[in-house]
Amino acid sequence: MAGDPLAELLAGCARKDPSSLARLYELTSAKLFGVALRILRREDWAEDVLQECYLRFWNHAGEYKAGLAAPMTWMSSIVRNRCLDWLRRPGFEVADPDDAIASATPSDVAGPLAELERAADAAAIARCLKTLEAKQRQAIALAFYDGLSHSELARHLQEPLGTVKTWVRRGLLRLKSCLETS
Amino acid sequence: MNIRGKTELQERLAAEYALGTLRGAARLRFERWLREDGSLRLAVARWEARLAPMTASVAPVAPPARTWGAIAKRIGRPAGRGVWDSLAFWRALALFTGGTAAALFMVVISNAPPVPVPAPAPIVLRAPSTDTQAGYVAVLSDPKTGQPVVFVSAGRDSDELWVRTLDPSIRVPEKSLELWALPKSGAPRSLGLVSGEEKGVLKLASAAETSLADVPKLAVSLEPKGGSPSGAPTGPVLFTGPCVKYW
Repeated sequence: MAGDPLAELLAGCARKDPSSLARLYELTSAKLFGVALRILRREDWAEDVLQECYLRFWNHAGEYKAGLAAPMTWMSSIVRNRCLDWLRRPGFEVADPDDAIASATPSDVAGPLAELERAADAAAIARCLKTLEAKQRQAIALAFYDGLSHSELARHLQEPLGTVKTWVRRGLLRLKSCLETS
Repeated sequence: MNIRGKTELQERLAAEYALGTLRGAARLRFERWLREDGSLRLAVARWEARLAPMTASVAPVAPPARTWGAIAKRIGRPAGRGVWDSLAFWRALALFTGGTAAALFMVVISNAPPVPVPAPAPIVLRAPSTDTQAGYVAVLSDPKTGQPVVFVSAGRDSDELWVRTLDPSIRVPEKSLELWALPKSGAPRSLGLVSGEEKGVLKLASAAETSLADVPKLAVSLEPKGGSPSGAPTGPVLFTGPCVKYW
């Protein structure tokens, strides 16, 4: 978006202006910490990821392309990807042999989905999510907000892996065609 | 496997990568392809843009103050604990008030919680009237983050209230922010609307010495566009702060 103050701050980071990073942090850290915390569910991990991501913004701001993504999209995608990397650290998966972490994931995605309808800049995605079948919508929301993998989704929703994969795939296809026609 | 030219597969993997369900070895392999394939990067960017608005409903959570400290240290910038630690802030405040009042002011706000964010730019305050030695100051902060967002000042003999917005992101589309005097007793009195511009001036009913004499606290509430229709706050109170007299 032209004139987006966040884009200007990223440009400042690319020029290695520390006050730009400070301001960027001030404006975006609470949202991005919220995103990371929801996926990782541990404050210390979310803090580590947040730290790494702001250093990444600082070091790679020059790679941000305004035409390709809004600044917040670029930044939140980096945070989500870093969270997923974090979850697949060597040893992490075996560190949860009793599914303690998977089962601790609250099934409550109704909150964010309902909240989405009230968010002004999310009108299209909120409307399109509503056109999905309930199971597809729930699977996509759990994957997006909570970072659940296919097998975690299958366990969580108590459905066969293949079924869950199909829900996700069809849900994404329908979401795309809905967003393209809106 | 080579996925070049396989549009449908590319598209499916890009979607699952952006959603986060592509995991393990498949994710690593996909990231390798991403580095080499511009059209795949574009497909992922499009999917990220489609899904990113979903984050609008994730509740923001202020990270602990130490997180910024660690980042600042690693980019080679000495970490301040917040605007209160910024030299520029105190220098400006001293200019504005004349040293003694700055000292008093420091005492008043020293109980404020540490601010988890840095002072991004020097704050240069302007004197509210020709008499810079006497007046009122108030710093209104967001109780959720402890972060100062609005700075209000008035000269003792002046009927001009200077309102400085420290964080332009407080503006809410289609709504107004209204500034209130909260007297020791009695109902809140409207002081006018906070424009959200960096600097604004509001007109007081009379000189600050009279109109703010019995006002220990100011507040900003969220109101319908144009301000409270009833003359009393109707929306949530967003920011508050002590209003301090000095002379």
